[in-house]
Amino acid sequence: MNRTAIVTLVRRDLTVVVRSRAVSLPILILPVIFFVLMPAGLILLSRAISEDLGEFRELIALMPELLRRELAGLSPSATVAVWGLEYVFATFFLIVPLMTSAVIAADSFAGEKERRTLEALVHTPASDRDLFLGKLLAPWLAAMAVAVGGYAVFVVIVNVLGAGLVDRPIAITVRWALVIAWLTPAVATLAVGALVLVSARVRGFQEAYQVGALVVLPLVLLLVGQITGVLYLDIPFIVALGAVLWAIALATVRLGYRSFRRESLLVNL
Amino acid sequence: MTVQPTEPAVRVGGLVRTFDGRRAVDGLSFEVAAGETFGLLGHNGAGKTTTIRLLNGVLARHGGDVSVLGLDPGAEGERVRARTGVLTETPSLDERLSATENLEFYGRLYGVVGSRLRERVATVLAAFGLADRAGERVARYSRGMKQRLALARTLVHDPDILFLDEPTAALDPVAAREVHELVEGFHRDRRRTVVLCTHNLVEAERLCDRVAIMRDGRAIAIGGPAELARSIGVPLTVEVEVDEQDRERALAALRDVGVSELGPTRAGITFHVARRDAIPQTVAALVRAGVPVFRVANAEPDLETVYFALYGRTDEGAEPSP
Repeated sequence: MNRTAIVTLVRRDLTVVVRSRAVSLPILILPVIFFVLMPAGLILLSRAISEDLGEFRELIALMPELLRRELAGLSPSATVAVWGLEYVFATFFLIVPLMTSAVIAADSFAGEKERRTLEALVHTPASDRDLFLGKLLAPWLAAMAVAVGGYAVFVVIVNVLGAGLVDRPIAITVRWALVIAWLTPAVATLAVGALVLVSARVRGFQEAYQVGALVVLPLVLLLVGQITGVLYLDIPFIVALGAVLWAIALATVRLGYRSFRRESLLVNL
Repeated sequence: MTVQPTEPAVRVGGLVRTFDGRRAVDGLSFEVAAGETFGLLGHNGAGKTTTIRLLNGVLARHGGDVSVLGLDPGAEGERVRARTGVLTETPSLDERLSATENLEFYGRLYGVVGSRLRERVATVLAAFGLADRAGERVARYSRGMKQRLALARTLVHDPDILFLDEPTAALDPVAAREVHELVEGFHRDRRRTVVLCTHNLVEAERLCDRVAIMRDGRAIAIGGPAELARSIGVPLTVEVEVDEQDRERALAALRDVGVSELGPTRAGITFHVARRDAIPQTVAALVRAGVPVFRVANAEPDLETVYFALYGRTDEGAEPSP
């Protein structure tokens, strides 16, 4: 393995992403919405609830028994804050690394083909594996950086704005730790793998991004299941979900690697 | 590893590559000496780009033997590519990066790092007249500048062989001339072997020591323009300067020794001979006839004449020469 080649590719791919508005804007806007505006809005909404849960009562009633037990004994404001920020948001959160890795992978794989810069790359001495790893790592590392950084911002915001709502720090839980350390890397890997496969079949960045963005659908289904009480994201469920996501992600990456051979890249130019 | 002067830098024997059953390269054979500028000349689709890709080990061959700098590109592609520089048909530059960033990126991929990389990048930027705008994004460059930068990229790791695929396609005449001058520089210093793909006959004639004329994945002829002309019997054009009052006498003398296709010119007469060694006999005939001869010049047939003569032959179904 040629580490210089891999690091060089990662640096180049991330540099060109930063210099493209079409690619960098979604990466900047999404975290602001998901890590700043939405949690701040939810905290303000929680604070507006005084004695009665109101419409939230029916929603909480739909939740699984185990979750209701977690929320038992909290004030109405704290119930909404903890339900929203520690439970529902954990799934919302995953959309950010998924979309970040998808948009960068679309630019890195399909975009490279569209810009016609791929041919010079395949004529270099870097091996197929090094080229693939470099291109895989750029979106993955960016997604992880955005996720970890975003989580840090999220924790600060909810704990500053939500000071006094709950008698413990908000969103610093085992569930969140698993989301960051177990689900986020799996989701980012899955998105990159899917985009590698999509990019081999499309002509450019926009097409790859549009088709690749469909990988967000399972997350939306998960979110719906969670909000309607059909699914309960307790620790065993998250561990199992992560294992399934990792299995699919690694299979997708493996398939993607097969399509990322000099020979097929040149033939499909 | 340095290639011995006697060992060809590139040796190709019976090379075959098919795509979906169609033979893009069909039994191609040629050799390129170290330091030679060798052209692959042919129409679009003749198999030139596929040949370059096979030589550089980015496509697998389906038959035949290939050796590049003593290495097998099929089995040792990475080692071959570390010692070659390739100018692809499109500049293949990242337009969001500056010239320096593009060169540094490729330099590192070729294993050039640290102060050596900075030194090489500065050298090639200066050599290709890009130093003043090295920090500017390539998107703002003209087409000619992009092509110069792409050529600079092929040299950043100081390769032994350059593969240049249509280096002036889509360039205006001024930019094309700039590129020609740069490639002529490679030719002059003889430090590098150059394999040049082109469909531009003037370019091939100007830049190449020898060419392989390709058709349907095969070399229908290999050699320099004069050598090819001799091998296929393209007649030589001879121009003789004589006084106007002697012109009729000269024409008659030449007819007597069997010279055909005679014609008067402003300075004398012009005629064709089949072989170079026929020229002294014609001059002797003129002298015997008492015609004062002031100048004799023979024009070798240009590559265009040879190219179309060869294409005409294969169109008529003649057996192509190896």
